[in-house]
Amino acid sequence: MQSELKVLFGRRRTWALLLALAAIPILIAVAVRLSSGVPSGRGPAFLDRITQNGLFVAFTAMLVSVPLFLPLTVGVVAGDTIAGEASMGTLRYLLVAPAGRVRLLLVKYAAALAFCVVAPLTVALAGAAIGAALFPVGPVTLLSGDVIQPPEAAVRMLLIAAYMAVSLAGLSAIGLFLSTLTVVPVGAMAATVVISVVSQIADQLPQLEWLHPWLFSHYWLGFGDMLRQPVLWDSFGSNALLQAGYIAVFGALAYARFTTKDVLS
Amino acid sequence: MNPDAPGAQSASSVSYGLTIETHGLTKRFGRQVAVDGVDLAVPPGSVFGFLGPNGSGKTTTIRMLLGLASASAGTVNLLGMEMPGRFHEVLPRVGALVEGPAFYPFLSGVANLHRLDAATRHTVPATRRARVDRALDQVGLAHAANKRVHAYSLGMKQRLGIANALLSHRDLLVLDEPTNGLDPQGTREVRHLVRSLAQNGTTVFVSSHLLAEVDQMCTHAAIMSAGKLAAQGSLAELRRAGSARARLLTPDAAQARKVLAGLGLNCETGDVQPGGETLLAALAPAAGASSARIDGSPTARSGEILAEDIVAQLVAAGVRVRGFAVERESLEDRFVALTGEGFDVAQ
Amino acid sequence: MGSEATGTDSTFQPHGKRRGGRNWPRWLPALAVPAVIAAAALAGTLPANAGDPLPQKTPAEVLALAAAHHAQAFSGTIEQSSDLGLPALPSTGASSDPASAGGAASVVEFLSGQHTARVYLDGATKARIQVVDRLAERDIVRRESDVWFYSSKDNSAAHLTLPAHAADLPLAAPQTQGEDPAAPTQSGSPSESMIPTPEDLARHLLEKVDASTAVTVGADVDVAGRSAYNLLLEPRSDATLVGQVAIAVDGETGMPLAVQVTARGAGTPAFRLGFTALSLEAPDDALFTFSPPPGSTVKELQVPGPGQETYGGHTPGAHQLGDPAGDGKGSEHPSVLGQGWETILRLPAAAAGAPDANSFLADPLLAQAAVVVPGGRLVSTALLNVLITDDGRVYAGMVPPDRLQAAASTAP
Repeated sequence: MQSELKVLFGRRRTWALLLALAAIPILIAVAVRLSSGVPSGRGPAFLDRITQNGLFVAFTAMLVSVPLFLPLTVGVVAGDTIAGEASMGTLRYLLVAPAGRVRLLLVKYAAALAFCVVAPLTVALAGAAIGAALFPVGPVTLLSGDVIQPPEAAVRMLLIAAYMAVSLAGLSAIGLFLSTLTVVPVGAMAATVVISVVSQIADQLPQLEWLHPWLFSHYWLGFGDMLRQPVLWDSFGSNALLQAGYIAVFGALAYARFTTKDVLS
Repeated sequence: MNPDAPGAQSASSVSYGLTIETHGLTKRFGRQVAVDGVDLAVPPGSVFGFLGPNGSGKTTTIRMLLGLASASAGTVNLLGMEMPGRFHEVLPRVGALVEGPAFYPFLSGVANLHRLDAATRHTVPATRRARVDRALDQVGLAHAANKRVHAYSLGMKQRLGIANALLSHRDLLVLDEPTNGLDPQGTREVRHLVRSLAQNGTTVFVSSHLLAEVDQMCTHAAIMSAGKLAAQGSLAELRRAGSARARLLTPDAAQARKVLAGLGLNCETGDVQPGGETLLAALAPAAGASSARIDGSPTARSGEILAEDIVAQLVAAGVRVRGFAVERESLEDRFVALTGEGFDVAQ
Repeated sequence: MGSEATGTDSTFQPHGKRRGGRNWPRWLPALAVPAVIAAAALAGTLPANAGDPLPQKTPAEVLALAAAHHAQAFSGTIEQSSDLGLPALPSTGASSDPASAGGAASVVEFLSGQHTARVYLDGATKARIQVVDRLAERDIVRRESDVWFYSSKDNSAAHLTLPAHAADLPLAAPQTQGEDPAAPTQSGSPSESMIPTPEDLARHLLEKVDASTAVTVGADVDVAGRSAYNLLLEPRSDATLVGQVAIAVDGETGMPLAVQVTARGAGTPAFRLGFTALSLEAPDDALFTFSPPPGSTVKELQVPGPGQETYGGHTPGAHQLGDPAGDGKGSEHPSVLGQGWETILRLPAAAAGAPDANSFLADPLLAQAAVVVPGGRLVSTALLNVLITDDGRVYAGMVPPDRLQAAASTAP
């Protein structure tokens, strides 16, 4: 496990992904700083609050990165789990070491989850840092109109990061399964990202309303519920349950596929 | 397949104590049969050459031995234990190099070995550093240990792959084409390494498509052809099993032919030399040859006619024998005969 | 990993059997997990029976229980869902400005889709309602005579000071200290304009219980984890679109927990409003304290005079749903035709303070929903029909369209 994390976070690619994520809040903050001001109510939620409070950079960046950037980076990491090892040929050496297929799968998924935790955290921290550097930092107005002090705002930000980490866990499980199907990591990555986009589009179609509560992306934007007073935990709970379902289904599929698979690469 | 191949006999008579033992090992990919009913018998302590042209099913067999691929039919026993069922007991005692080395290009050689060693719970982390250093030393890579594998040459990667196989004490080493990409110096070193490992009691299973390599380092060998096991046994047994032929130099070629035909031997006409004509005759019916065996003939013993009997008969018939020699087939001829193909010719 | 190995041992075929076959148990979890999830999901949708059956009660007793209810303090989550057959509206696109009360979009908003609100109540004078939108929220906070409206979308706040005599005016939830218990709480009060509580709605509906309605008590239902009587109201008239109204009355406190309206002949409710979570403990007092956040725009609102609809007056969603009869009290222009379930609300052309026909049809969504019929255009839903005549009059009612047309042609 430790070695898996070392490999994941020792890679330049992982750092490039995290840097790209960190670039989102920085871009937003710089753009807002350079522009004359954002008319209220325009653009993504929270954008107009940034000039008053730098901490909103983190919230805005989170909102912007949820639909594509976070799933993209998670898709790259999750799609790479098994297929990446297979394409490098190291999978066969791990298996004859012997790592054990189930154990390898679990370790790989755990590493992907670790990335799911780190990725939103990167957005939040980079956002808070750049926000604090370019704008005043003060009490934060919640959606409910209540005002909280920066230390509590930091807690809320961590809650949001946790919410997103949970949100991405299901997608990681899908990526893990897709990764066991192929030896072409790019294929598994692309398929994972495409599935996340399709799920979000389906979530917008009223004709598919019956399907909406079953889409893994359904609660992604529910992280706003962490910004209410009091915190609305319903979506967190529903989201966690939904993601657990996805983990169970795709975990079982990945297990079935990977333990019966001939490693020929 | 030669039913009299000594290897086949030993495989059926000795079924205990073999390091690698397979029965009816078969692998199908769709309709194509890649490995077809292979019965391997690798005795402990041997250096076992697994010969066959590219595409003959060697690597697929090795994958099944190591549990990477599941067999369509048949069983595998490694170190007396069933595979892949007991892989967690077997594989820690097996070092392997499968179908070329593979490493994380973005990690250094040392880091790669550390990772692979840490991938299993069966190794002792405390001794990892020492074991990695020793293995790198053994393959002569200590100087490049901290370079990223990305910058390694093929030969260096090959060495690193062997180092990986040597990380722990192994009872069995499975090396798939270990000298691929190595320069002659490296090849010699590997050969030397394999021999010294075998002296320490490790069984080494080396696959190769190069006969010379097997000839120089192995005690035993098996020959694969088109997914089937063509022959196996000790090198001596394999050599002996090769057919011998007599080369006769005589001015009385016509008479000699008659005598040889009387003995049931077919002969071909060789080149014409100052001393007369050269006749070549197979002493024993080669595998699959239909004509030569005469059962019940007093001169035929275990399928081979003794050279002295032939000469005696020839002389008795008044043939002037100016030269007579029995030539044995080399392992190479045997290999070609068994596999039916030239070297390096993929199917 | 160990288990994986032993699992293989037991199924290992030593000689020559097709070994591909030994892999199938590995696929079992992949089949079993979705099956378990499907089973759990199915079990979740089955009507959950309350653990202890409530004592038998007659409809009259349940009505009395509901009437005797006095909620002193609670906090809960209300969910409203409508399936009226109108084009769906993305919930994020809805107008969200409480202080300026949106146009037709907010009508459609409450006629379609699903809405969630959190309600906190402590005594008669402390209340808070939070309408939960995606990444936004609309709040109404009341403490004593101070009422605050807040919308997070544009960070705007509005303040209202209630006169002493009207202490029970807005946030109609509790039936307050008997000053005028019979009076329907002010329709168009802020709470209703945002989202009515089941209690508001139930009270309106229960007022209608007269000879024209058959009242029965159905099997106990489970709402927000509480056992409730299921009071069923069925109009005896067939000149209404309403097939059945079900009101869940908490077996313990008599508090209305949910209201469901099913259209005539429909199998599933067209409209549902109910608690999904409810706690009868007093909420944190800090929730009722509100001061406009820094940077917000603040507007001072006038106190609504009795009978005059100011704030939220032209947010008729709740008006039409909760009070289709449109008591029309005191307002000069709208008038009421018929009675009971067959009531038709008539708005003359360009009535002040009421949605005029043009603003209705200016909304593309409503324009899309409207069909041309003889005499005007008709917006038809499962529970409500609205006829906009060519000269701009509006007729609305929970009645079939021909009734509206008849009313329009005979009306002055």
